[in-house]
Amino acid sequence: MLTYIIRRLLYSVVVLLVASFLIFTFVTVSGDPLSFLKMSPGVSQETIANITERKHLDDPIIVRYGYWLRDAVTDQFGTTIIGERKIMPDIQRVMGHTLQLIIAAELLAITLAISIGVYSALRQYSVFDYLATTFSFLGLATPVFWLALMLQVLFVNVYLWWDIRIFYTANLSGVDPGGGIDFVLDRAQHLALPVIVLSIANIATYSRYMRGAMLEVINSDYVRTARAKGLKERRVIMRHAFRNALIPLTTVVALNFGALIGGVVVTETVFALDGMGFYFINALNSGDPYPVMAWLMIVSTGVIVFNLLADITYGILDPRVRHD
Amino acid sequence: MPEPVLSIRDLTVEFSTEDGVVSAVTDVNYDVFPGEILGVIGESGAGKSVSVMTMLDLIPKPPGKVLSGEAIFKGRDLLTMSKRDLRDVRGGDIAMIFQDPMTSLNPVLTVGSQIAEAVLAHNRDADDDSARDRAIELLRLVGVPNPEQRFDQYPHEFSGGMRQRGMIAMAIANEPSMLIADEPTTALDVTIQAQIVEVLRTAQRETHAATILITHDLGLIAELADRVCVMYAGRVVELSDVYTIFNSPRHPYTVGLMNSLPRVDVDQEMLQPIPGQPPSMIAPPPGCAFHPRCLHSRGRVVCRTDVPPLRTFGEGADHLSACHFAEELAEAHVVGIGAEQPA
Ligand SMILES: Nc1ncnc2c1ncn2[C@@H]1O[C@H](COP(=O)(O)OP(=O)(O)OP(=O)(O)O)[C@@H](O)[C@H]1O
Ligand SMILES: [Mg+2]
Repeated sequence: MLTYIIRRLLYSVVVLLVASFLIFTFVTVSGDPLSFLKMSPGVSQETIANITERKHLDDPIIVRYGYWLRDAVTDQFGTTIIGERKIMPDIQRVMGHTLQLIIAAELLAITLAISIGVYSALRQYSVFDYLATTFSFLGLATPVFWLALMLQVLFVNVYLWWDIRIFYTANLSGVDPGGGIDFVLDRAQHLALPVIVLSIANIATYSRYMRGAMLEVINSDYVRTARAKGLKERRVIMRHAFRNALIPLTTVVALNFGALIGGVVVTETVFALDGMGFYFINALNSGDPYPVMAWLMIVSTGVIVFNLLADITYGILDPRVRHD
Repeated sequence: MPEPVLSIRDLTVEFSTEDGVVSAVTDVNYDVFPGEILGVIGESGAGKSVSVMTMLDLIPKPPGKVLSGEAIFKGRDLLTMSKRDLRDVRGGDIAMIFQDPMTSLNPVLTVGSQIAEAVLAHNRDADDDSARDRAIELLRLVGVPNPEQRFDQYPHEFSGGMRQRGMIAMAIANEPSMLIADEPTTALDVTIQAQIVEVLRTAQRETHAATILITHDLGLIAELADRVCVMYAGRVVELSDVYTIFNSPRHPYTVGLMNSLPRVDVDQEMLQPIPGQPPSMIAPPPGCAFHPRCLHSRGRVVCRTDVPPLRTFGEGADHLSACHFAEELAEAHVVGIGAEQPA
């Protein structure tokens, strides 16, 4: 297992290198990083020449890639063009916020989806099962931005009409969030709606997976063997069926989690959350390629790391794929 | 004759499927006596597995449904027993060995823990250690080498034959008074089959369990079974001791089965397969379900209109056949029917 992980890590480094080259090339050829500055009236020729000099913008792409890679590795992706702001501290901040959002959304999605999926499978073709099926299709079909807006409208009106503040509809914190438990409550009230929006589609997908896996396992020969041994139904379900049914879901969740880091753009934009997605949109709008590339690299790393995690958990749960 | 351990009476089981209602098992009756091996043979889909699994409530319901019947085991009806009581019987007094050892063991649990689980389920005073010791002892009994190491291995680290040994160990863990082996050798290589037959023999000797042995393998029947129950299209069509079944079968289907066997004692030009296809279980032929393929019916109307009951016919009380013309078969005899194929 350990050698397998090391091998996969080395392989990941190669993948990241290739990804970094592609990202750099595509972002660089897609536009002149200085066009925005050149169009701004108050910016002197001198400043532009300075920046060109500092970021080696006149060199061939491959050389510029070398400089960029050096900065990325030794100087945490360096600074932005405009304002020479350090990139990494900003990304760390928004990453923290996004992780809060995603982890909460995934925990909610996983617990609900597992319960729904298992119960649907155990009561196949019951009213509950049909309802769950219907809602999961609705959940999948609902556009995220629409749902987000509807929830905002709803809770804003609740506030306006009855003067009750249940959930906030924008930002991460109130003006004065306080400390300790007050801060946590304030954060929860702010994150609740984005978490709901983000988890809806995942609840739908995961519960479908769980239902399918559970049905397959329940009808498997080894569950029949477990029953034929005289085990209690609870034990048959928990020890023999549930654990096996979790295996495919684990992979899906791990892969999805990696993808979510970059996939929260819409939700964060609608709720004005200072997270990864929000940051990315701002970076794109600023016309500065450096934060954009840093963001892309970090999201790629996230996806690769969670791919690896998916494989490792799979190996732990299923002895048949334990790598050596 | 001693009291039977198990009496199946008028068992009828259906499955509702998209294509219609499958009459998997219809009016099945048979007894199993202490210590004997009852062989159950019949084509694929004849209802062999369903008839035994229904007793332990192991068929999926729905789509399965028991329409009628009793399964009296040691004086109690398994079909009306409470779930709790049935759980005690499962793996305790009645144990099953399934066909496919590749899929019948849980892939994510060690083989040993799955056997120990069977021990723990039926022994209140067993703890993990004593269950482990017992499992290792059982593995040794069924001929698994290095049982201490094997205990902690996963099913994928076992070969097919070894897995089936594991299944057998699990089945005899609580010294059942009845063993049900549903095609225990079908999924295995021929060489392994012989070994598993030996293990089954050992298991049966150790436990003195009455055994139902379901198989397609007539050789296995000849070798192990004391009595034979022949099933066709969900019904029992012939029932007798193994010698009689092989030497003077009294149902055309059984006769056909015997003719499809290579024999050394009779000079045969070629093997005779039974003509035609197994019947649809959704709309079985009216009358005797075997009549469309029967070489003996010769178009007689009663075969197409009346379901023949399983009955004795003057050759002694323990030979039963469900053929309207069972008596005639005594004269025609096995070879005769094979020889005079209608043009
Ligand atoms: N879960 C199920 N759903 C629908 N039909 C079923 C189900 N299980 C069994 N049947 C039907 O019941 C009939 C009897 O099946 P059974 O498994 O008892 O046959 P069998 O004699 O054991 O055959 P084989 O030799 O192939 O194991 C078949 O026609 C089969 O299609
Ligand atoms: Mg079967």
